[in-house]
Amino acid sequence: MKQWVEQFNGRMDAWGRKLHEKEIRIPIDLVTGLAFAIFALAILLVMPDQVAISEKDVVNGRAFPTLLMMVMLLCCAMLIGKELYKLATKQPLNWKVINIQVEAKALAILGILLGTYFLSKWTGLFVVGAVFCCLGFLLYFRCRKKSYYVITLVIAVAIWAAFRFVLGVEF
Amino acid sequence: MKKRILSIALVVAMCVTLLAGCGQKSATWKVTCPWAPSGVAAMVSQQAATKSTSYSDTITLVAEAIKGDAATVNTWVADTKANDTELVFVGEGLLSITSILDPAKMQFGYEDFVFVENLYSSIFVLSADAKLNIDSVADLEAYVKQGTEISVAVNGATSSEAFLAAALFGSMGAGNQLKLTPYQSAAEAAQAVARGETQFAVSHQSQILETYQQKGATIVCAFDEGNIENGPFAGVEGVGQHGYPYFRNRCFVMARAGTDEKKVAELKELYGKILADAEVVEWLQNTMLLEVDTMSVADVEAHVENVKSIVNSYKDIVAG
Amino acid sequence: MLQYIAPATGLLFTLENILWINIGVFIGSVFAAIPGLSVILCVILFLPVTYSMTAIPGMMFLLGIYCAGGYGGSVSAILINTPGTPHAAATMLDGHPLSERGRTKAALKIALYASTFGGISSALMLLFLGPQVARVAAQLGTAEYFMVCVFGLTIIAGVSGKSMIKGLISACLGLLISCVGSDPMTSYDRFTFGISRLYLGLDLAVCLIGLFALVEIMSKAEKRLDRLNLDTTQIKDDGIITKEEYKRMARPMLLSSLIGVMVGIIPGTGASEASWFSYNTAKNMSKHPEEFGHGSVEGIAAAEAANNAVTGATLIPLLTLGIPGDGTVAIMLSALMINGLNPGLTLFTTQGNIMYAIMLGLILVNIFMLLQGKFLTRLFAKVVSIPQEILTPIIVIFCFAGAYSVNENFFDVGVALIFGMLAWILRKLELPPVPILLGLVLGSMTETNFRRALLISNGNPKIFFSSVYCIIFLVLILLAVGTIVRGKMKERSTQKEA
Repeated sequence: MKQWVEQFNGRMDAWGRKLHEKEIRIPIDLVTGLAFAIFALAILLVMPDQVAISEKDVVNGRAFPTLLMMVMLLCCAMLIGKELYKLATKQPLNWKVINIQVEAKALAILGILLGTYFLSKWTGLFVVGAVFCCLGFLLYFRCRKKSYYVITLVIAVAIWAAFRFVLGVEF
Repeated sequence: MKKRILSIALVVAMCVTLLAGCGQKSATWKVTCPWAPSGVAAMVSQQAATKSTSYSDTITLVAEAIKGDAATVNTWVADTKANDTELVFVGEGLLSITSILDPAKMQFGYEDFVFVENLYSSIFVLSADAKLNIDSVADLEAYVKQGTEISVAVNGATSSEAFLAAALFGSMGAGNQLKLTPYQSAAEAAQAVARGETQFAVSHQSQILETYQQKGATIVCAFDEGNIENGPFAGVEGVGQHGYPYFRNRCFVMARAGTDEKKVAELKELYGKILADAEVVEWLQNTMLLEVDTMSVADVEAHVENVKSIVNSYKDIVAG
Repeated sequence: MLQYIAPATGLLFTLENILWINIGVFIGSVFAAIPGLSVILCVILFLPVTYSMTAIPGMMFLLGIYCAGGYGGSVSAILINTPGTPHAAATMLDGHPLSERGRTKAALKIALYASTFGGISSALMLLFLGPQVARVAAQLGTAEYFMVCVFGLTIIAGVSGKSMIKGLISACLGLLISCVGSDPMTSYDRFTFGISRLYLGLDLAVCLIGLFALVEIMSKAEKRLDRLNLDTTQIKDDGIITKEEYKRMARPMLLSSLIGVMVGIIPGTGASEASWFSYNTAKNMSKHPEEFGHGSVEGIAAAEAANNAVTGATLIPLLTLGIPGDGTVAIMLSALMINGLNPGLTLFTTQGNIMYAIMLGLILVNIFMLLQGKFLTRLFAKVVSIPQEILTPIIVIFCFAGAYSVNENFFDVGVALIFGMLAWILRKLELPPVPILLGLVLGSMTETNFRRALLISNGNPKIFFSSVYCIIFLVLILLAVGTIVRGKMKERSTQKEA
């Protein structure tokens, strides 16, 4: 078992080192401007389907979200315009470096969170998800101290029990 | 440090287990109120729950308020089955208003419940900006005849209060003059009339009492058959005697359909005892300005149908 | 007033009341310190306990939770860079950097002293000025409320970080999210995409768990484990605050207490707005604005004094008019009414003894908060020495349990997760999350008052300039925007020079 864990960790380390070298550079302001401009346009597009209005309304339910999306579009236009101006005048753009290893690790954490959520939901027992969460994070952190496993699991069960039996939250 | 953490964790776990292991002699019935914890129904439910142990060794009521209206009741219906020790509040807002205006919001019907008891009834009152000097139905009729715009503050755009206002002014032939101004709470609506933002407001009696005592508003009429009999608004005219439509606000305690009739009868009996408690009666009358109002299934159905007919008649004024 | 003080003191100083105050303060501190467990949730969970009590101990218990919650939120903000409660987010900006500089105890002490100062100021304000100030607040109508909201939104400019444009995009996103659910003016669904559960809207506490707590968990990916486990020497600081620092704390504490009281009196606004506004004001008035965001004692003092100064002030409209100043106080209303106490000015005369006992009790609550805080400061400081391997899953479990408890629904846990992912993407796009929070807090109130005011005036925008209060708020908005823009320009020119 120990050997298998070592092997697994070794493989992950090698993979991690490879990923660590991989980076993506994105013109962050340009991407943000474009992404939110598309988002604002999409919201404006679905507005008639998503917000019913009455003819009696002095100011209807679409007015405020429309105003917000207009402001968002204006801000996006300013962001994009600023970056395009920089491009035209050959000034350096605002770049952001995305490290693939960090994103992969974030995805692993997200996986633990999603696992916790779905296990709790499907079993109807929060404690099952809580135990999975503890084990997931302890393995993620490559924790080798048995006492940490015991402490974390006991606290996880205690939290569930406190909510379930003392505070009366049913899960 | 590690040992300390371990020992603390173990002690916590043991305490929790001990607490969890405490046996319960009587069945605990959870009463879910799908409205705000500070609302009238939640407070009455809490009061009933507190009293339940004094009147029964076999049933303990536990009050819980999860605001969410139809969504909370949807969840309740989905999560419960016959004979579960769960009760829920359902009012005319859901059974008579939402079911007509927005049935898609409701994943349940009256048939999903079995009626246990109605705890109280509340007579809504129409208040007016004190400057208008309107304190009777006759004054109101004269004011309406002037043909000016009538603005009424209500708690929520399609609430019971909104329909009562629409029914009253609509039946006076002033539906086109009526402008309903929705507020986030009944207390806010009551304040609006005192500030002169609207000319009128519809609210529970307890919610307008303070404004009335501060002389910010006058009480025009009550949405009931006869005059109000008790409390600070005793003598206020009921609109029913002038031929105008009305209904009282009621909140029914329901069990899941199919629940053992004996259990339902036992619960009804317990609620009956609690509602007969002198302290509860006094609290309901003097503090909450409500009336104890136990009902039969036939009464409930009649109430639901009455409100439905009002909603059908005046929904164009309210929802546009 | 004086005729009530003596009998009220007699009613207040009982063993039962003091015991309940301390239980409330302890529970409030613990709940607020744990991210994902809000004060409102705590009050909801413990409200039933008060129904078997009489008015004074019941209110003392709830006020204990409420006030200590104001301080408790700062503990996790300082220790683990996650605000325990939404209003501690401003404290986090300077509290955590100061902690990272090895002055954890000092940061916690500053937060505690400022909280106590704010809380006691607010309690005194409630005691002496309550009925008078409430009369003025009661005159604010729909149009005035809208101006208050716009005033609140000007804070966005101050919390946008490097780019005000990106701050505005975030704020628009937050305001849009607040539109999800039932339209407050018509009850029609908006942006529910056929999901029936969404018509209730998105719960603020649930969104905040995702935006601030879960994203913090995901950010562990950005750090190595050895850097996650804080250096224990950092928490072994003596906690000494120098004379110079006390001097620097004094002005923002005083000013923020006043701002907190003013914001708290206005129903619908709350500790979050007060702390951000105070933080911004303190930054603009400081001789060392460059320290803000990097562990400024003035920043911590301003944010904490303001969010605790709200506690007493929110009770003013509640006790005098029955209008709760915020969500937590709204729940306390039922604790009052169950005891036959109908809020209103008449309550001060008919039940004067009880009323003054409750108001005096708020001072006592703050004193016990200070005493317990001194003990808890040491206790909570130990939280950081718990290894991250243990702490991380525990925080996640509390976050999930907290999100579930709001409405006892896994849907909310899912929402928190989605907001966690959204916050991660926004982080990558360098969009600040705090303006989203402001948008979420002020969104519904801004829109509702805007539309209702126009409904009242039949569409005439003159209503927004129709009263003295509207004009006062307009002037305040212009002043705030002017000050922020001037500050930003100054900051930029300093950067260029550097």
